[in-house]
Amino acid sequence: MAEKKKTTAKKTEAKKEIKHEAPAKQETKKQAPAPVGSTTKQEARIGVFICHCGTNIAGSMDIPAVQEYVKTIPNVAYVDNYKYMCSMPGQAVINKAITEQKLTGVVVAACSPRLHEPTFRTATKEGGLNPFRFEMANIREQNSWVHMHDQEGSTEKAKDAIRIAVAKAALLQDLYPKAVPVEHAAMVVGAGVAGMQAALDLANAGIKTYLIESDASIGGRMSQLDKTFPTLDCSQCILTPKMVDVGRAPNIELMTWSEVDAVEGYIGNFDVTIRKKARGVLSVAEAEAKGIVGGGCNGCGDCEVVCPVVKPNEFEVGMKPRKAIYINHPQVVPLLYTIDWNSCIKCGLCVTACGEKKAIELEQKDEFVKVKVGTAILATGFDIFPVENKTEWGYKRYENVITSLEFERLICASGPTGGHLVRPSDGETPKRVAFVLCAGSRDNTGNGKPYCSRFCCMYSLKHAHQIIEKIPGCVPYLFYMDIRSFGKMYEEFYYRIQDEGGKFIRGRVANILEDPVTKNLHVHADDTLLDRPVDLDVDLVVLAAAVQPKEDTNRTRKLFGVSCSMDGWLLEAHPKLNPCGTTTAGVFLAGVCQAPKDIPDTVASAEGAASAASIPIHMGEVELEPYFATCIEEKCAGCGMCVNLCPYSALALVEKEGRKVMQVTEAKCKGCGTCGGFCPGGAIWMNHFATPQIVAQIDAFLLGGEQ
Amino acid sequence: MEATNKYAFFLGCIAPNRYPGIESAAIKTSKKLGIELVPLKGASCCPAPGAFGSIDLNIWYAMAARNVVLAEQMKTDIALICNGCYKSIWEVNHKLKHNKDLREGVNEVLKEIDMEYKGTVNVYHLAELLYDPKICGVEKIRASVTNPLNGTRIAVHYGCHLLKPKKDRVWSAPGIGDTENPMWIEDMVAALGAEPVQYRNKMLCCGAGGGVRGYDIVHSLDITNEKMINLKAVKADALTEVCPFCQLQFDRGQIEIEEKFGVKYGLPVLHYNELLGLAQGMSPQELGLDLHGISCEPFLQKVL
Repeated sequence: MAEKKKTTAKKTEAKKEIKHEAPAKQETKKQAPAPVGSTTKQEARIGVFICHCGTNIAGSMDIPAVQEYVKTIPNVAYVDNYKYMCSMPGQAVINKAITEQKLTGVVVAACSPRLHEPTFRTATKEGGLNPFRFEMANIREQNSWVHMHDQEGSTEKAKDAIRIAVAKAALLQDLYPKAVPVEHAAMVVGAGVAGMQAALDLANAGIKTYLIESDASIGGRMSQLDKTFPTLDCSQCILTPKMVDVGRAPNIELMTWSEVDAVEGYIGNFDVTIRKKARGVLSVAEAEAKGIVGGGCNGCGDCEVVCPVVKPNEFEVGMKPRKAIYINHPQVVPLLYTIDWNSCIKCGLCVTACGEKKAIELEQKDEFVKVKVGTAILATGFDIFPVENKTEWGYKRYENVITSLEFERLICASGPTGGHLVRPSDGETPKRVAFVLCAGSRDNTGNGKPYCSRFCCMYSLKHAHQIIEKIPGCVPYLFYMDIRSFGKMYEEFYYRIQDEGGKFIRGRVANILEDPVTKNLHVHADDTLLDRPVDLDVDLVVLAAAVQPKEDTNRTRKLFGVSCSMDGWLLEAHPKLNPCGTTTAGVFLAGVCQAPKDIPDTVASAEGAASAASIPIHMGEVELEPYFATCIEEKCAGCGMCVNLCPYSALALVEKEGRKVMQVTEAKCKGCGTCGGFCPGGAIWMNHFATPQIVAQIDAFLLGGEQ
Repeated sequence: MEATNKYAFFLGCIAPNRYPGIESAAIKTSKKLGIELVPLKGASCCPAPGAFGSIDLNIWYAMAARNVVLAEQMKTDIALICNGCYKSIWEVNHKLKHNKDLREGVNEVLKEIDMEYKGTVNVYHLAELLYDPKICGVEKIRASVTNPLNGTRIAVHYGCHLLKPKKDRVWSAPGIGDTENPMWIEDMVAALGAEPVQYRNKMLCCGAGGGVRGYDIVHSLDITNEKMINLKAVKADALTEVCPFCQLQFDRGQIEIEEKFGVKYGLPVLHYNELLGLAQGMSPQELGLDLHGISCEPFLQKVL
């Protein structure tokens, strides 16, 4: 017992020691940077460490030969190799060599810097050097992996890569990352289930969160669904509690009917301008602010009753009417009416009906609100693929061909038919329903989407279950390529539908023909299991339409400086290891805007994004990479050409000692080098990518080391 | 106008031999619409794409190229009235224009008869020219009607070789290229005062093409019968098409269906140019409608 106590005591001591280290680290950070442009003439002693990466590298090249060659490169003071340089013993080799060999720079020849640059920077730092005195030579992704069967060639290429890296390493300088404070607030764009979950998590973590939704109500696509697979719980029933929570959370500032108009700044300090679109209706709080006592919209609906304009309700996919002043469904959050300006005739009947509440303003204008946030999460969701583009299936041409979203509304008890599935042509109850899966997904014709939309199989199985349950004798026919039931309890759900009587036909639907008299549909396909053509006469066809990126994805990309993958979805920082991050620090992705996801995956990704977005905020400050541009003032002619070239508005001309010189806002600079490459006087020094360093690399390559 | 809208008229085989009314209607109706069709002298069979193309493509290329060269010598684009001819002449012309090796091979053959394919003319289906607003257009057709076909329900059969294969086809007028549910011939039918009707299987083959009629008449008629069932269901007064071979299959085919399957439909089948002729006031005799296998009388009673 006594011994045990001792060990615990030791452990706490050890912990304390670690804690003590932290402030020491910060001190080093605050050291003054070396004077710009000056290369302190200190003899370069570079250590080169060649990694085998098991057989990944060593299997494709002659490491001893590379090592022998490296010894002959100028400035190389030490060479070593190890099976796994990234392992702890491997890092110890670097650590030891730095002190013992009095190295001034470190080159590791291994994998891509995207993988292990941070690892080796830390090792360099632990050895007592500035971490930016490290350079990586990629001899795996760009060498051994692509020249796997060319031993001689890859050996030579590795020699080149290392020689080039050494040339740069000899000229590297000490750099110090800049720490900036992080605003204790976050923003979530889009209030579907992903955005709501992310906002709730952030708010519960004590972070002020602005939740921006372009629609009039939160809830998104999930609020349009009837039931969720495979549990069959009512979508609204599980979603509305979250909607109510969002509406009530003190830390969430909900802004519906609003859009992000402009984003400036960088991680920790995003200045966001939000356009509050004119809603035409004042909330209770807004009315109070205007001095209208007891006024504002209370959702009574008196305005809607008198409004003479009837329009299709988009929430019901156009299958139910609404007025020009409307709410989409009874459970909207916030419970606030909205005026559709495109159809409002400004007759003023609603204003009269609203009376003393004075909630309606027919002349309201858009307002702009500025907020400052530390991090932002994009949860902008998806659009439905316009499946009418697949003309062979006749959507929008044949009345009884509908999409799955229309099916959801028709089967939903709060939908336009009160939950009775009917044929749009005659209102009859269908007895034979065909489901066309992959309607626009996994489609390489150029007239569809090449990717899998991921949740259509499962909701179509659910639809099959729903018609079997609701309409006695009704038979669902599912035309499929593969049933992708990959999630928890999904495969079991698939078996269940098979047992319940769902008919599965493996074959893509070639075309659908309408009988013009009965409005029945003939579904033509090739049954690839029985190897015979199918001509199936059905009452209703449901197309499981693909999902596609939001129409305004490009605008979102530009606003937040994020990228897209080839298929148009917003691009994550790493598909496996950083699925919520983006290449812009401080901007994260949640839900389907990144790629198709079902509800569980969407919520999981939202919680991941919220967690990632809260880290910098809780840290309080973030380190910016010290790769910013700096002005060598004595060389700067003050021409100002660079100022307009900068894509990040990081440069400005300032008066100094009676003349104009360029000045960099370091936190805004991303180190892209546009200005540095352009400057006619060579007055811009790009930290870590300075002209002498790059020229040395080029020389090292072209001259083959014979300088 | 006559100068710009002059075309070498490629007759094909079936129209002049089986339905001469189509030929006369094409020439006469087009003239009223500002399109002059001049004979393409010395033209042979297109040759039939299914029958020749399935056996020896080189013969198909060479014969079709010869027909094109005749038009090149006239320095006139070709207009034709048959989908099969369109497939042969248009497609071979298109291929020869874009494939140097093929062109050289064909020219080697043509050299024996002192001809050379140069690729200087275009090939059009007359229906395409009638629909193209730059040449004629639906409004002009409507304006030329003196005897509107009011009160009739007319179904359209587009035929396969006109529109397919979609990826190879190039159309000058917008709206023609759709292969799933084209509506442009319906627009031209409506311009005559008739009501175009939709039926299931509109885009199904007539049953004749690709050598099926010649090889296996029962299967061929089975396809035709499938179309006839759907045409009957929508109570069409007549069927129109832009291909004499389709017309043959639907017209003579109905007699053969009666013989082989014992089903009688009695649905008049008229080429679009015949309909246009009727609407422009040509007499049934001028149009040779009495030569049709299925009597056009019930339809004519409604429009005359």
